[in-house]
Amino acid sequence: MSRHLIALVAVAAVAWAAGSAARAQAPGATLTVLAQDGRRAMPVTAVGGRDYVALDDVATTFGVDVRDDRLAGGVSVTAGGTTILLTESQAVVSVGGRLVSLPAPPVRQGGRWLVPVDFLVRALGPALGTRYDYRRPTRLLVAGDLSVPRVVARLTASDAGATVTFDISPAATARVTPENGRLVVAVAQADALDATLPAIPAQGFVQGLSLADTPGTLQIATGPRYASYRASTSQPDAGSTRLTVELRGAAPPTAAPAPGTPEPAPAPAPTPPPAPDAGLPPASLLGGDEPGIRTIVIDPGHGGDETGTTGPGGTLEKNVTLAVARRLRTLIESRLGLNVYLTREDDRTLSLDDRTAFANSHRADVFLSIHANAAVRAGMQGAEVYYLSVDRATAEADRMAAAGGTTLPALGGGTRTIDLILWETAQTRYLEQSAALAATVEQALASRVTMSPRAVQQAPFRVLVGATMPAVLVEIGYLSNPDEEQQLASGPYQDRVAQALFDAVSRYRATVERGTPQE
Amino acid sequence: MTTRRLLTFVAIAVAATALGWALMAGLSRVLTTTVPDELPPEGQTAAAPPAPGDPSAVPRIKATLFFGSGDGHQLVGVEHEVPLGDSVVAQARAILEAQLATAPPDGLARTIPEGTALRGVYASERGEVFIDLDGAIRAAHPGGSMNELVTVYTLVDAVTVNLPTVTDVQILIDGREVDTLAGHVDLRRPLQKNEELIAR
Repeated sequence: MSRHLIALVAVAAVAWAAGSAARAQAPGATLTVLAQDGRRAMPVTAVGGRDYVALDDVATTFGVDVRDDRLAGGVSVTAGGTTILLTESQAVVSVGGRLVSLPAPPVRQGGRWLVPVDFLVRALGPALGTRYDYRRPTRLLVAGDLSVPRVVARLTASDAGATVTFDISPAATARVTPENGRLVVAVAQADALDATLPAIPAQGFVQGLSLADTPGTLQIATGPRYASYRASTSQPDAGSTRLTVELRGAAPPTAAPAPGTPEPAPAPAPTPPPAPDAGLPPASLLGGDEPGIRTIVIDPGHGGDETGTTGPGGTLEKNVTLAVARRLRTLIESRLGLNVYLTREDDRTLSLDDRTAFANSHRADVFLSIHANAAVRAGMQGAEVYYLSVDRATAEADRMAAAGGTTLPALGGGTRTIDLILWETAQTRYLEQSAALAATVEQALASRVTMSPRAVQQAPFRVLVGATMPAVLVEIGYLSNPDEEQQLASGPYQDRVAQALFDAVSRYRATVERGTPQE
Repeated sequence: MTTRRLLTFVAIAVAATALGWALMAGLSRVLTTTVPDELPPEGQTAAAPPAPGDPSAVPRIKATLFFGSGDGHQLVGVEHEVPLGDSVVAQARAILEAQLATAPPDGLARTIPEGTALRGVYASERGEVFIDLDGAIRAAHPGGSMNELVTVYTLVDAVTVNLPTVTDVQILIDGREVDTLAGHVDLRRPLQKNEELIAR
């Protein structure tokens, strides 16, 4: 009896150890295959920082035949009458006699063959005659012509209510329907959704945000303080739709709509959530055309193939800038209740003009581009703030462009005059405000981090050129300085920088809303 | 009375001649200063260094080259002898070749990656100078705004400080206009001399 018990304990221990070893290698990561016949999960293993899948899992998931070819030191996969030949440590595979390259060679691990996930798109798909689309950030493999829009949700909450925004791309119609204890968000003509959903902080309006059972739908589980909602859609750019769902509490000071009664979605622009603090009457924020800061676009510098500069210890600029941008967004959203958008949510390549265009199309009131610096000398250290330098020719070109509007025919007859702004001269009109913003950012940074001897400078930086709002580029420290590199890579320093930039945004907003130096 | 008339006539004639001379001289001067603008766009042939076997025979002039200061955020000008060029383009090319090939003096740092090659130097009809660099500079560049600023303005200032008639310099890579060198400085239009970066 006791012998059996010992054996059982031993087996359990081995199983636990094996399980934790597997977790250590790839922390429970799975890849989701979406096809007409449903959704299947496959385990993913990290090898050299890259996602791999096991060929035996491929065999069961896709119903293909995998055979070891020991003589040739390889393996063959037969799919839909086509044979794919793979050889260990060769990044080129043969698909029915045609050579296809993989980003890395297959590897053999513990008697199993592992292949980079790109194998599914580049080799297996062609063999099966199916086109696969792989969404790397969410590890989603979409088969055939399924429509799977990308949805990024965000939640901001205050005492008065909560706002959930859904950025849906490509653009699609989205509808909100209240059901028992939840609001169901349906994206039209979607077979499924590729969704990134935020963690839900404790508040009484939203209890959960998840994919619903019906394909192409999400659900907002409402909390005890929820009474009514209001939904509106807008189109921040040609390729996406933004659905804003505002959830409000019961018993507001004035008459409120009956609980659960949806209001028609009227205005095309989403109403910003009320600001919880800052000592200003909420009306000054909700009022449409009054000067104010409602939307901030943060641009985490570099990304994807474009890594930016690299510290002597290997820290990549693109990772530091994204980490600080995320921290800053959390601070601004939670404490000021403003709309905050990042030009990139993950590690992706993005052109400089696309970053600026993103800020323009989101009608940002402030544009902050975050970077980490490098100099030819390792001793150089400290943060710097830049705003655009404009040469005489550009300033002159802008004056010329501003002098005459362009007349266009208007819908329903007549004409209207529009003010055409040239990309190359767009920032020229905001230089004074950008200089004021740069000074505010410099002051806020100086109270929390070391500043460089050239704390505020002007430079012809491309990312600032086309911005139609106050815009600065912040260098948060020198990655080329070994001490500063260590700090830049650390959470506490990133928090300090984010806190300083938050202070700057907060002060700048107060100045703008007092109406002192603007316009 | 007639003497007076004669004198007036002579005075007018002298004034007219003087005016004519001034006009002609002025015009020829203007034409002389625009000569660089009329150079053929192929700068390389015009700038071919004379007689490589006999450097002593080549007349040389002093030019200011730029290197990174001890703390890395300024440019320090250093005098250096370069071959005399027979046109603005040829001279710009000689200066830039010296800038790329010269090792920094003690205490100063290189601001352009070692091994960066110059593909060509051209001038437009409007007098803008184009510096065409080999694409290898992109891979070799360590990135960072400050690094990029000192690289770009070493090139721009080496031309504009030494050749005061040139005010606009555009950097091309592999013969093409590019957005930036390393993600910051706008290279899609000509840049002007940056004196702020030069240490005093």
